[in-house]
Amino acid sequence: MNFLKLVWQNKAGFVGFCGLVFYLLIITVGQWVVDFDDDVKLDQINSPPGSRLILLTRPEDKERYVSLADLEGHSVGVLEKTGGPAFVNNYANADAIKVETYKWRSSRGVPDALEGLAKGEVDALVMFSKLAQRFVLDSENRYFQKDYAHLTISNSKLGPMLLLGADTQGRDMFTHVMNGGRILIITAVTAGLISTLIAFVLGTIAALVGGMLDRALVALANFIIVIPRFPLLVVLAALVTLNNWVLLATLIGLLAWPALMRAVRAQVLSLKERDYVEAAVALDLSQAHIIFREILPNMMSFVAINFVVAITSAMYDQIGLIFLGMAPINDYTWGVMLYFGRSRGTLFNADSAAMLLAPVIAIAFFQVSLVLFSRSLEELFDPRLRSA
Amino acid sequence: MQALPAKSQTQPFSFLEKIWRNYTLRTVIQSIFTVWAVITFIFFLVRLMPGNPIEIYVNYLINSENLTYEQAYNRAASQFQFDPSASWLEQYFGYIGQLLRGNLGESITSTGTKVIDQIMRFLPWTVFCVGLALLLSFVLGMLFGMIAAYYRNSWIDNLISIIAAILGAVPDYIWGLMIIIICGVQLKWFNVGDLRGTFDPSLQPGFTFAFIFSVIQHALLPILTYVMGTVGFWILAMRGSTTSTLGEDYVNIARARGLSQGRIITAYVGRNASLPLFTLLAINIGFVIGGSIIVEELFVYKGLGSFLFWSITQRDYTTMQGILLMITIAVVFSNMLADLLYSRLDPRVRISGDS
Amino acid sequence: MEEPILEFKKISRSFKKGRTVIPVLQDIDLQVQPLEYLCLVGESGCGKTTSGKILTGLLRPSSGQLFFEGRDVSTLKGADYTHYRRSVQIIHQDPYASLNPTHTIYNSMSFPLFRHKLVKTREQARARVAELLEVVGLTPVRDVIDKYPHQLSGGQRQRVSIARALTTQPKVIVADESVSMVDVSIRISILNMLMAMRETLGVTFVFITHDLALAKYFAWKGRIAVMYLGRIVEIGPTPEITLSPEHPYTKSLLSAIPEPDPDKTRTKEQIRLRSEDIPRLTELPAGCSFHPRCPWFVPGLCDKSVPSLEPFAASELRLACTPLSQGKGLNLFETRNLA
Repeated sequence: MNFLKLVWQNKAGFVGFCGLVFYLLIITVGQWVVDFDDDVKLDQINSPPGSRLILLTRPEDKERYVSLADLEGHSVGVLEKTGGPAFVNNYANADAIKVETYKWRSSRGVPDALEGLAKGEVDALVMFSKLAQRFVLDSENRYFQKDYAHLTISNSKLGPMLLLGADTQGRDMFTHVMNGGRILIITAVTAGLISTLIAFVLGTIAALVGGMLDRALVALANFIIVIPRFPLLVVLAALVTLNNWVLLATLIGLLAWPALMRAVRAQVLSLKERDYVEAAVALDLSQAHIIFREILPNMMSFVAINFVVAITSAMYDQIGLIFLGMAPINDYTWGVMLYFGRSRGTLFNADSAAMLLAPVIAIAFFQVSLVLFSRSLEELFDPRLRSA
Repeated sequence: MQALPAKSQTQPFSFLEKIWRNYTLRTVIQSIFTVWAVITFIFFLVRLMPGNPIEIYVNYLINSENLTYEQAYNRAASQFQFDPSASWLEQYFGYIGQLLRGNLGESITSTGTKVIDQIMRFLPWTVFCVGLALLLSFVLGMLFGMIAAYYRNSWIDNLISIIAAILGAVPDYIWGLMIIIICGVQLKWFNVGDLRGTFDPSLQPGFTFAFIFSVIQHALLPILTYVMGTVGFWILAMRGSTTSTLGEDYVNIARARGLSQGRIITAYVGRNASLPLFTLLAINIGFVIGGSIIVEELFVYKGLGSFLFWSITQRDYTTMQGILLMITIAVVFSNMLADLLYSRLDPRVRISGDS
Repeated sequence: MEEPILEFKKISRSFKKGRTVIPVLQDIDLQVQPLEYLCLVGESGCGKTTSGKILTGLLRPSSGQLFFEGRDVSTLKGADYTHYRRSVQIIHQDPYASLNPTHTIYNSMSFPLFRHKLVKTREQARARVAELLEVVGLTPVRDVIDKYPHQLSGGQRQRVSIARALTTQPKVIVADESVSMVDVSIRISILNMLMAMRETLGVTFVFITHDLALAKYFAWKGRIAVMYLGRIVEIGPTPEITLSPEHPYTKSLLSAIPEPDPDKTRTKEQIRLRSEDIPRLTELPAGCSFHPRCPWFVPGLCDKSVPSLEPFAASELRLACTPLSQGKGLNLFETRNLA
């Protein structure tokens, strides 16, 4: 409770905190709430946001059949891979409905199904709105309009909605956005942890031991810092196959520590001269106590803020590598969505805006949450600001 | 008054000692040392990495051009610039010798083309595009940073700071994507396809209005992207610097003397607060050369970053090595420049060793 | 004479800054007797703080030895060293810097208690901390014990530092300018408290200050050592030092103290130094380091050899001044003659 009160002190920090809680929920429980569905669904390719299943009937049945309940004892036609059969099967009284499946043989599936409905083979057709749009309602598609113009939609709100539409393979973007952050966030946090840990340990050692070791560590940091990190990462990614996230996180972490290490070293150098550290020495408190209880707490907010910054920059590097196609694309992450958007050209398709904007916003909002939250960290760790 | 003869420690290398005390010379020597370290690092990086690129290339030649191992190896040797019969050490010194003569080797994929020529072809575009963006971002950052600091803790400051934090938090290529998707594809303010490349290929390069206009037009989106990605950093840096300057005694004294606000801001605060930022600017100039691989790839802007990426995907190791070296050296020397600049501006740094 | 609890034997200390060596302390000999009041007095840069740190073992001398209860500290090991370590504590000058801002008062004080196994449980620790806070006059204890340093006033913080130094039950406490940053109104009460502690807790105090008036008050029954540029120039019982000092430097220091009574201040004999500038430690003048400023400078004597600390005449004073120890007396040096 006290924690929340402290975060609330800084409004921007609070917004960031809420954002992070949201992302935490996504990467922990998100996968159980929204299943990851990798099946290609030909009938919902490039569906705009908000698309869903519809019920198509002959005009005379328009009033009669408006829900699955009305169709008990009747036959319903579904296309294979529409999500239709599953949807009908999920219905409580599914046994009472006769299901007729039309095979999606290349593009013949839809005409077959429409023909079946027109001829009375089935009483209603569960179909994806995108398809119905294209084959039945689209005024440009004269051929189908002539034959099936009399078919009508009796219920346009059947089944779950595609909140963010579907991608070029008909896969629900929403489930992908919900599931595509976990591995990215875990990798970024791991990389941030690695670089912060290295920076902290080496910076502290350099400052406390001093002498040759100090000079060597500073020289090493100065050396790594001049090699532009991202180009080097791309080159390394070409030389080593970055096929799992642990390797990726390690590589990013190993290249990111020098700047922070120098800052930690400067901090420790200044803190170790403080009177209270000297008093601790005089009181014969242990080395470990002095490092972890006297020095560390005073640079905790500094380390924490830099840890957050390290996560954001690891995110930058990681998604950049994926976007260029230099990092593993086994997992369908936000980065991979961007990669496909670029490599498959959907980036330039006006209909697929949601498809790319969804991961773009997910990434942007994650970064913004982190940075805003970092503004609260100072209040969290410094008792002088806490009670103010 | 008689001074006690200072304990003169006899130094065997008093000459070197003297050089070391000269801040400028010391900085230059350190930079050269770093460049040497980088050259060595890259040399061994390409040769010692798992899946030695030279071996891979040799195998590639054997398979694709039906050469014998011997022939393929010799070909690889000539492109990577090493004498296959030479030892590691000899190869290494040979490589450094070539570098000293400004020879970065030949491109593997486009045989007969010198890497340095290739770099020189792409470099100007990146320098133009990123350099202009850096300058713009720096100026805007100074302006807004100073406004924020001047109205610190008011709503203006909060607004500017939050916007700066958000701009800085989101990766530049994400801004680029947003620009393309929202402004280009959805709102159709411009045709993204037409803006690819560094200029309209139907035009002849030259000092014509159409050509220059086209160059600026093509660079506009990358520049906007860079500026959005970096301006936040400059705003926050300038805000911090100005805030601390505003607390200085000489500013209070200037106020007490009744100087006008405008004069205090420009002559006292602005000048002193922006000094550290110029050092930062000098450091950042080094990163201009490397450009941004992703942004250049995104807008299909043919600069050095995009060329580096191309050479990586083509496994053109000599080019890759050359570009990496080039951009690192740029960073080293801009760091050096920053150090020297800082020592000019702040004499305490220069003579700290003497006190 | 009793065995001194702490003793400096020929202690020197220098610091390296870059290539230059700064001699901060030179050949200091000093004995701290059990339960005495000892004051180190001098201007800033005279080495009094460094002496304090060497006494507490926070700095090692560059040369010379520190004896604790008759044993060379540098040879102490294990339990013996711990005993020394715990027996000599320091109170810093700046109450704002000497307490870790991230710990509550209870935490700051309980760490050493647990570390030295002086308490076993939290309850014992709390009780002991409360007891010590009462000793230093921070009552009611419950208002203070769980606070952070920034929630206390400067005086309160300084009392907490004192209480913390008491946690290890020290025999000697080095108080380094311990009241100079506290409000004037609280100074005397803190000084009185320290003096009382000597009686009740048997702690010997080494009081380091630049303020002769404070030294006079604190160590009236004890001794004062006056330091100048890394050396002790005069040492002796406080009444003698403050009322009839012999060393030129002490004389000039005393004459510079403004008296509460303005008439007295105005009529006081002013000693005019030949130079206001204190020489740099890196460019110490030859011979007596005070000679460039000394009004009683004897050319050819003072600038030749470094005077050593010697007993002076029949008094209990010991001082380092070549003319005085040669029994020549002081004659004002005429600067005009030189010019």
